[in-house]
Amino acid sequence: MLSYIIRRLLLVIPMALLVITLTWILIRIAPGSFYSSEKKLPPAVEANIKKKYGLDKPVWQQYLRVMGNITCRTKDADETTTNGLQFGVAGTNFKCFDFGDSLKYEGQSVNEIIRRHFPYSATIGILAYILALIVGLSAGIIAALKQNSATDYGSMSLAMLGLSVPNFVLGPILVLIFSLWLYWLPPARVGGASSYVLPVITLAAIYAAYIARLTRAGMLEVLRSDYIRTARAKGLSEWKVLMKHAVRGGLIPVVSFTGPALAALLAGTVVIEKVFAIPGLGNIFIQSVFNRDEPLTLGIVAFLSILIMIFNLLVDISYAFLDPRIRYE
Amino acid sequence: MAQIGLNQTRLGIALLAVSLFLSGCTSSASNRYWGKTAAPTDNVLRYITGSEPESLDPAFGTGQPEARIYMALYEGLLEYHPKTMEPIPAIAENWEISADGTEYLFHLRKNAKFSNGEPITAKDFVYTFRRALSPELASRNANLGYYIKYAEAYNSGGSFVKGADGQFLLKKDFAKTDDSQASDTPAGKTDGKVENAPTNFGTPTEFQKNINAPDRLTVKSDEKERAKDLAADPQLKAAVEGKELVPVKAEDLGVEAVDDDTLRLKLYQSAPYFIQLLPHQLFRVVNRSAIEKSGKDWQRVENIVTSGAFNLTEHYPYDKLVVVKNENYWDAANVHLDSIEFYPLEELTTMMNLYKSGRVDALYNHTVPAAWLDEVRQFKDEYMDHPEVANEYYSLSVKKPPMDNLKVRQAFSLAIDRFALAKFRKTPKPLSNFTPDGIFPKYDEARKKVFGEKLKAENVTVEEWSKGRLFDAEKARKLMTEAGFPVTKSGSGWSCPTFPVDKVTLSYNTAESNKAVAEFNQAQWKQNLGITIPIKNMEWKTFLPFRSGVEYQGFTRNAWVGDYMDPFTFLNLFYSPSNDGATGWWEPKYDALLNSANRELDSQKRLEMLATAEFQVLQEQLVIPLVTQATNWIKKPYVKGMYPNPGTLHAWKFVYIEPDANKWDANADNIMSDSDAQVDEQIKRLTATMTQK
Repeated sequence: MLSYIIRRLLLVIPMALLVITLTWILIRIAPGSFYSSEKKLPPAVEANIKKKYGLDKPVWQQYLRVMGNITCRTKDADETTTNGLQFGVAGTNFKCFDFGDSLKYEGQSVNEIIRRHFPYSATIGILAYILALIVGLSAGIIAALKQNSATDYGSMSLAMLGLSVPNFVLGPILVLIFSLWLYWLPPARVGGASSYVLPVITLAAIYAAYIARLTRAGMLEVLRSDYIRTARAKGLSEWKVLMKHAVRGGLIPVVSFTGPALAALLAGTVVIEKVFAIPGLGNIFIQSVFNRDEPLTLGIVAFLSILIMIFNLLVDISYAFLDPRIRYE
Repeated sequence: MAQIGLNQTRLGIALLAVSLFLSGCTSSASNRYWGKTAAPTDNVLRYITGSEPESLDPAFGTGQPEARIYMALYEGLLEYHPKTMEPIPAIAENWEISADGTEYLFHLRKNAKFSNGEPITAKDFVYTFRRALSPELASRNANLGYYIKYAEAYNSGGSFVKGADGQFLLKKDFAKTDDSQASDTPAGKTDGKVENAPTNFGTPTEFQKNINAPDRLTVKSDEKERAKDLAADPQLKAAVEGKELVPVKAEDLGVEAVDDDTLRLKLYQSAPYFIQLLPHQLFRVVNRSAIEKSGKDWQRVENIVTSGAFNLTEHYPYDKLVVVKNENYWDAANVHLDSIEFYPLEELTTMMNLYKSGRVDALYNHTVPAAWLDEVRQFKDEYMDHPEVANEYYSLSVKKPPMDNLKVRQAFSLAIDRFALAKFRKTPKPLSNFTPDGIFPKYDEARKKVFGEKLKAENVTVEEWSKGRLFDAEKARKLMTEAGFPVTKSGSGWSCPTFPVDKVTLSYNTAESNKAVAEFNQAQWKQNLGITIPIKNMEWKTFLPFRSGVEYQGFTRNAWVGDYMDPFTFLNLFYSPSNDGATGWWEPKYDALLNSANRELDSQKRLEMLATAEFQVLQEQLVIPLVTQATNWIKKPYVKGMYPNPGTLHAWKFVYIEPDANKWDANADNIMSDSDAQVDEQIKRLTATMTQK
């Protein structure tokens, strides 16, 4: 098990470097540059900008410089940057993950931008995740236990609705009702607990619906299986059968869905961030691509790809706990 | 000022659809005001300014969202008039211009201070100007300062050429007789023929003597680039060979602190619109000690020192930026707001929601989405729909067939019903000229006179001619037929089978509104000429080089927001070979005409010369003008002293919140002509120091 985890973690490094390289190539292929605008720049001004950002150097040098800053290396004598991870061992000065400064936002480092905006996305993401789990799991379990009852049909219809109404529709409807008709909750912007209510509900809805359906299906399958019959035959109480045996098995499809879903939720969702004007990472990521802000795009891609790889690993590990038949060597 | 690229994704379309549906359910015309309307009690204005500012360094940021924030934080020699955007005194109490129009003296007020209490003197302006133009800062706005003597050479790394006798080579000795040696900006373009008359202007100084000496020759400092330039000019090459090159330094710029409160500026040549440029962010004064102390971190809340009516206290990127009244500001007694909260937001529906729920007090321009317009514009006290110093047009690739044929170009222009277009788009006004109508009243007069004279031969009046240019399907078909592509009747419509539609495309940058206009015009051409032009959308940054390099064939969407309040900012779009008109057209005679117009000291005569240039642009049909843009924004009626001026740039010290509902703004249509005693008094006091010299 441990060696499996270590192997998977080591694999994250080359994968991340590959993702960064591919992203860098894609950015370079895309036409336009971070400084291009409606107004054409005089060649002299453009030359000044290129010189300032080292874009006048050969492309391979630019690539090496980017990769050199991202991976770990000793600091040059004249380097004063405090970006990235810095540590000194025996008189040396190491630094890692230095993505440099944003090209669009003058004087702000990529690491600082990620550090500043990730918490917004993460807060909303985790709250939505918890809400989706609570609502989805309970609805799914109840529906499975009372199969073909009014409760089952009711909760599953609601889940169907939740799945088919996209969040860019649900969000504005909630805003209309709670912000513009009732004036209860703010329609957008963060600030105080009340401002999180609408975005969290909007974001959670689709996940809750999905989880409810997965839970119901998983539970129904497990409830019909032989080992549940055996458990019942042994004379275990219905509660114990349910919680100790059925739920564990019934949750496997839910876990394989919610693991990557959590990573996606943490990373921020563009739609919710736009509709509710939340300064999260998702919107900034998209904007950085439109702005051709190369360091920022690279930094967020690296951050998110590592985040997703780690969550996938966690999902794989949790299988071993949920299903005794799964073993990792 | 460059327009903000709208990165509309599909999300935007979807949101629009939803908002269209929802807005249908929310109409409440029975109320006088839209949504929750109550004056805030804390004397704080909450304002949405557009995208997150790229920088808080006024010399660096180029967009309008930044400009509005800079107007709170920094002040320049002059400020924009809140209604007309004409320059009014700010840190400069008054100014003088030399007889030949090339030298300016600004008299600064003695009580101006930075937010840290340091006095603002002429030396600070010298520092600000030199810094803004330094190649190290690499400001994208630097070219706005190229009017100042040796600014372009300094910014682009140029060198003077010094002979063995210690004398610098002079530009006039190498002047071309024709205008083929074009510069990229009008400012860098002096033909060297006019020698600056020795002036007796202001206190004579050594600097003045030197800067008024004949223009020195400048060449590129970079060896490779210089070699390229010299290879094209053997005479120059021979003269420069073996001579010493002296790099142009910041000290060589035509900017001087004569004493603590007198600033001298020296231009290459007379540029009557230069004074209009001075309120621009590039020229707003920054604090040297703060910048030198904190380096690139100087713009952070803990380090920043400002010169404007407000000081920065909070900045959470993508969330909010808070400024509070600067007690050290020289005119603090007349700053009415305690604080402004700027929200960087671009999602239109979200803005509408925030406004309607009473959480923001005013928005920036072009913010009411088409789907909401019919509802919002009923609220006459809040909705503002005034002409902007901005146009929208299609550039034509005039060097490529079939667009190289004038008649084809004219036919496509005439086949668009601009009245229908304006009605369809709801806010803009139809435009047949290139420079927006109704923005420059004196220029409108000059244009009428010049066009009238030109049209005498054709026996039409200006009114008939202008009206005819807005839509004339019959004439369009006739011209197209004459051009060799016969338009014939087919069924109930028209057909033009020989027109090479595979050679043209109408390209535009992805945005819901651009798409709507493109489809509208496509339908117009189909209906009136029987030609279906393919349309193609492109992501903003991909589109920019495609358009500016004239890689497109046929038509491409274009728009321009004036940098300053003078028609030259529009006519400049066809000036120099690498112009922003993106048509591939360039003519030395046109440049020469604009140059001589700018040398003309009689302002009415100058405007007439500019009108002559515009007439040429129209006659050649380089572009298809579509509309004059409209401001299209809303503010709560209790926000006063804030006007729908042509650039949506607000001098914040005039803005105040009126708690008494009886004094709220009523009927925004008349807001520009209605008087507001407080604002009028404030402007009167400021302009009283202006003296005509």
